[in-house]
This record gives sequence, C-alpha cells and structure tokens, in this order.
Amino acid sequence: MKCTFCEHELTAEMLREEGCGACLGGCRKIHCPYCGQENPVVPEIFDKLFRRDPSAPGKGSKP
Amino acid sequence: MSVLHKETGHDKKIVLVGCPNVGKSVVFNSLTGAYATVSNYPGTSVEVSRGHCQVAGQHFQVLDTPGMYSLLPITEEERVGRRILFDEQPHVIVHVVDARNLERMLPMTLQLIEAGLPVLLLVNIIDEAERVGMRIDIALLEEKLGIPVVGAAIGRKRGINELRQALAAYQPVKAVFAYAADLEQDIQRVAVLIKGNYRLAPRCLALLLLQRDEELQERVRAVEEDNAAALAAAVNAVVFARRVDLHLRISLERKRICKGLLDGVIIQREGLKPAFAERLSRMTMNPWTGVPLLLLVLYFGLYKFVGGFGAGTIVDLLEGSIFEESLNPWAIAWFEQHVPWYWLRELVVGEYGLFTLGVRYAVAIVLPIVGTFFIAFAMIEDSGYFPRLAMLVDRVFKRIGLNGRAVIPMVLGFGCDTMATVVTRTLETVRERILATLLLTLAIPCSAQMGVILGLLSGVPGALAVWIVSLTGIFLLVGLLAAKVVPGERPMFYMEIPPMRLPQPRNVLVKTLTRMQWYFLEIFPLFMIASVLLWAGKLSGALAWLVNVMQPVMRLLGLPNETAAAFIFGFFRRDFGAAGLYDLQTNGLLNPVQLTVAAVTLTLFVPCVAQFLIMKKERGWKVSLIIFVLVTALAFAVGWSLNRLLLASGVLG
Repeated sequence: MKCTFCEHELTAEMLREEGCGACLGGCRKIHCPYCGQENPVVPEIFDKLFRRDPSAPGKGSKP
Repeated sequence: MSVLHKETGHDKKIVLVGCPNVGKSVVFNSLTGAYATVSNYPGTSVEVSRGHCQVAGQHFQVLDTPGMYSLLPITEEERVGRRILFDEQPHVIVHVVDARNLERMLPMTLQLIEAGLPVLLLVNIIDEAERVGMRIDIALLEEKLGIPVVGAAIGRKRGINELRQALAAYQPVKAVFAYAADLEQDIQRVAVLIKGNYRLAPRCLALLLLQRDEELQERVRAVEEDNAAALAAAVNAVVFARRVDLHLRISLERKRICKGLLDGVIIQREGLKPAFAERLSRMTMNPWTGVPLLLLVLYFGLYKFVGGFGAGTIVDLLEGSIFEESLNPWAIAWFEQHVPWYWLRELVVGEYGLFTLGVRYAVAIVLPIVGTFFIAFAMIEDSGYFPRLAMLVDRVFKRIGLNGRAVIPMVLGFGCDTMATVVTRTLETVRERILATLLLTLAIPCSAQMGVILGLLSGVPGALAVWIVSLTGIFLLVGLLAAKVVPGERPMFYMEIPPMRLPQPRNVLVKTLTRMQWYFLEIFPLFMIASVLLWAGKLSGALAWLVNVMQPVMRLLGLPNETAAAFIFGFFRRDFGAAGLYDLQTNGLLNPVQLTVAAVTLTLFVPCVAQFLIMKKERGWKVSLIIFVLVTALAFAVGWSLNRLLLASGVLG
C-alpha cells in the first residue's frame, strides 16, 4: 500500500501500529510517517473483492 | 549461479538496499535462486531475507533489506536497513535504483558513498527508461561517481552477468562530494570533534547528527563519553543557527550535486516530447496555469458533481421522494397507531426523532453528499494532484505563516476537520500547528457540510459566489493577522513530487467504499446520539431555553428564530447543522439573503463536538478555548456585517 499523498510505501509494520485513539470504534486509518497523510486502511473484504490477482498476498504484505 | 551452500560464518556479505519497488527482491532471487531464509532481524519484527550465491568461485551471503529512502531513518524498516549496513560489515552494498527515477534516488547513493560504505550502483529497470526515450550513459556516471555502476533490467535477465562481474572485481573506493562552503564549514565544525569509531565516516555522522538523528545521538553519547558534551554543543550551535532551513539546505545541496552528476548522463531522445502527464504536472504547479486548473477541478469535481449531482439529484430522490413521501409518513402513522407513549413516539418519529431526523439526515441528506465527495476526492487523490496543489499554494500559505505541508490538513479538513486537526501535529512548528488549527476551525467546511451548502446555495444565483468570496477572504485575513500575532519561525517546504497518472477505477472504488464504511461506523452513531440529545432537550425544555437565548443573535443576523436550532445542530456535527438549514430552506423559511448569511455564519461557526475535543487534546485547554471564543465571535460578526452589506447593496435582493 502506498501513501495517497507522497506515495511512500506503507508497510505491514505501520499497518499494525496502534491508532491515535481519536476515532470511535478503533482505528481504520494509518498516518504516513513521511508526510502525515491519513490513509484509509482497506478492509479485508474490499481488499479480497477488488484485488487484481486473487492469488496475490493481501494488504500489509511485503511487496 | 545459485548454490546450496552451508554457511561458514566467514562468507563475505552482499547487501541489497534501495527504495521499495525498484526490483531488489528480483535482484536477490536472480543472485541466490530459490534458496533463501526469511527471518526477523534480531530484536525487531522486520523481516530480512538471506541467501547465498557463488561469484567467480567465491561464496557470498546475500541480504535483502527492507525498503529505505534515505540514511536518515523515519520508520522501523529504515532503522533496521541502516543497522544492517553498519553492523553486518558488508563486502559490497548494491544500491538498486529505478532508472526512470535516477535523479530522485541518486541522493541516497551520495549518502552511502559519504558514509564511506562500499557501494555498487545498480541502475535497474533500464529497459522501461529506454522505452520512454531515456538513454543513460552508465560509463560516464561511473566515472563521475567514482564507484562501479551497472545498468540492468534484472527482471528481463539483462545485466546479470555484468552485475556478477562487477561483484567479483569489486574494490572499495572512496569519493567525496562537496557541499556549499558555508554548509561544509558547519559539517567540519562537528566532524572534527568526533573521536570514536562508528563504522561510518565522520562527515556522514556529522550530517546525521545535524539532522537530529536520535539513534545516533544516543550512540555518540555512549561512545564519546567526556567528549560528548562538546560535540552536542557544536551540533546544537549549528542547528540553532540554521533552525529554519537546515534540512532543506542539505536536501537542496544533494539535489544540486546529483544534477551536476547527471548532466550528460541522461539523454532524452530528440523528437520525443515530454509525456502528456509530465506537461500536465508542470501546468498544475505553475501559478498562471495551476490556478485555472484548480478552479476547473473545483467546478467539475465539487460544484457540479458533489453539489449538483450528490446534493441535488440524489438527495432529491432519497430525501424528497423516499423519506418525506414514503418512509416518514408510514413510520409516523405506524407509531401513532401502535405506540401509546408520547415520549417514545417523539424519540423515534418526532421532530428530532431517531428515524425522522437522525436516519433521514445521515442517510438521505449527508450520505449521498459525502459519498459523491469521496468519489471526487479519491479520483483527485489517485491522480497525484494533491502534492502539486501543495506546491502551488505554498506561496500563499507562506504569507499566512504556513508552508505547503499544511495543505494536507487543509485538504483533509474538507473531508473531516476532526481528523485534519489530528494531522496538524505533523507540522514542524508550534506556530504552524496553532495557525492551521485556527483556520481549520474557522474557515474550512467539512465535506458533508460543504456538500449540503453547495447543494443549498447552487439554487440561488450569486449566493454561492458570495459564500466562496466570504470564506476565502476570512481565511486569508485571519491567517495573515494570526501570523502577525502568533510569534515563531517560518519554515521552508520541500517535497518530492510523485508521478501524475490517470486515476484507476479500482483504486477509486476501494478508497470510496473504505471511506463510506468509516462514515457508517463512526459518523452514523453520532447522528443518533445528537438526535437523542435534542429529543431530551425538547422534552426537558432545555432546547427551547437555548433557542430563546440565541434568538436575539439570530435577529441581529436578520435570520428567523427557527435558524437557532440549525446552529445548535451544527455544534453536534457541522453537516447536521447544514442539513438543518436544508430543512429550513425547503420549508421556505429563508430568503436568498438570509440563506447566504446563515450559510456563511454556520460555516465559520464553532467546531463540532468531536473537533473541539480533539483540538483540546492536541493544543490543550487554553488554546482551544481561545480559538472557540474567537471563532464564535468572528462568525457572528461576519454574519452581521454580511447581512448589512447584502441588504444595503441589494445584492441577492
């Protein structure tokens, strides 16, 4: 997954980081460490439904 | 060729480094074959691949590091990548770069050379570069850099033999690239004080210390012992003297050196014009063409699509036809017939009922607007336009004490001001954070509020123009005044611009659905809570009291008393308030002047509860309360002035 603002690669480690606690019901976004952009984390269901290659690894996997 | 080889512990190491997506893993696989072990780097959760290869009869261990953009780490992966470079004592470090982005990636090669590490540069994906008319003079680049350089397209098996030959013949060489004299002086001032052994050149260490590398600061404190204080003092003196632009100067100096190194190395085939995306990219950042393009994006993306289609067509269908004509009458009739308790009927289908107000506002008014906004936002985002917008508005933002980086929270604010307030923490100085928070609270309407207001005002000729001019004027005026009042540094702004491209429908769809899911999970419950609070306020009489208190203010603004309720709604959620105005307008309670005054005042009016709580968390009670009072007073002052002005001038009359 890439940051939607600066296009730096967001890695599995970052996706596993805890959120800032500002959102109700848990964090569904990831702050890019390079530019601060809040990127929505794609839910597993959308990731599976719209993945180009269904056999490819899902979000958060190392490319 | 790859080999099955028992590790002896004495094998020389080849370490692959580079940005993500430059083909490091392909290079790793082509060197090692299928035999690799993947394990967490000791003490971390970052995975590192290790394999073996044999080159010219010599065994090597090959390490594939996580992607890194620079020797100054920001993420855990980059920290691990750097540790590998310093601690594994590699025989050769292969810096893999994408030939198409050589200029962007070469600064890290400079850093690696500067660190005194044994570097070999692999210019990969050269076939793609040639396809777009680029020719790269590898021999000249090698001569200029003073290290071995190999051109390759490893994915297409091109250049593997050359890489192996270069690895077999590798001899470490030293090269030095000079920065501008004043910067060199500062580097030397720190470098001469370094006495310990760090496995990287003092010059490189000095630069990293000047850039506040915390990990190295700690290591230096431990190694230097008595000398540490003098070294820290020298670093602090330079950092303080160059507090405004040190990072920028270093980046620009590296860019300058790279530009010189690449002069004559990259040759663009004649007759091939820059691609359309490249020309468009330049146009978006040039003020003469960028501003008209921005207006086009706003007109078609927001006004026509969100305002016209979302807030007009879809809301008319959902709110007008489905809710008002079918669902609400049916629900009200059912409750009247089956539920004897007044309070319960009021709670579900009353004036502020969960269904008749909460669900209707959330699903029939705000959702279509937010949905269409998310589609437009995702398309603009996926095209790579936002970083260019940051460059375009940097000049204007500097005038009001912000840099282009503040575009991110501002743009996010058009989505949701609450999350944008959180993002202000990424701004470099406290001054910038306060200014950005103030401007977000005051003059940046969230997507839902803006959508509803666009939908409302687009039906009244001239009203939208008045709203835009008022908001932009207030944004600039308050920004300028606040910048004079809030002391602090004016930081510089610099960022890499990623390529521009056609938005991918799949990306747009996934991003939109993801944000809609966020809306349902986080915002929908807030609408329900607001309905319950309003219901409780109505039954207890607290709401009527509050509306009474606000009535004199409404009269001063020239607005009917009923508008007070919309302002109270607005404090729960900005879009809730805007939806309240929508209701008043559709019931014929507002004339064009009143509608415009109410829309401007409501947009400037206090932040919603969620934004206020986050503001308090980020900026503290004192700053938040000052902003709250300032914004409220300013909103009503502007509303009062605008009402007078519009009535006196006869505009919209």
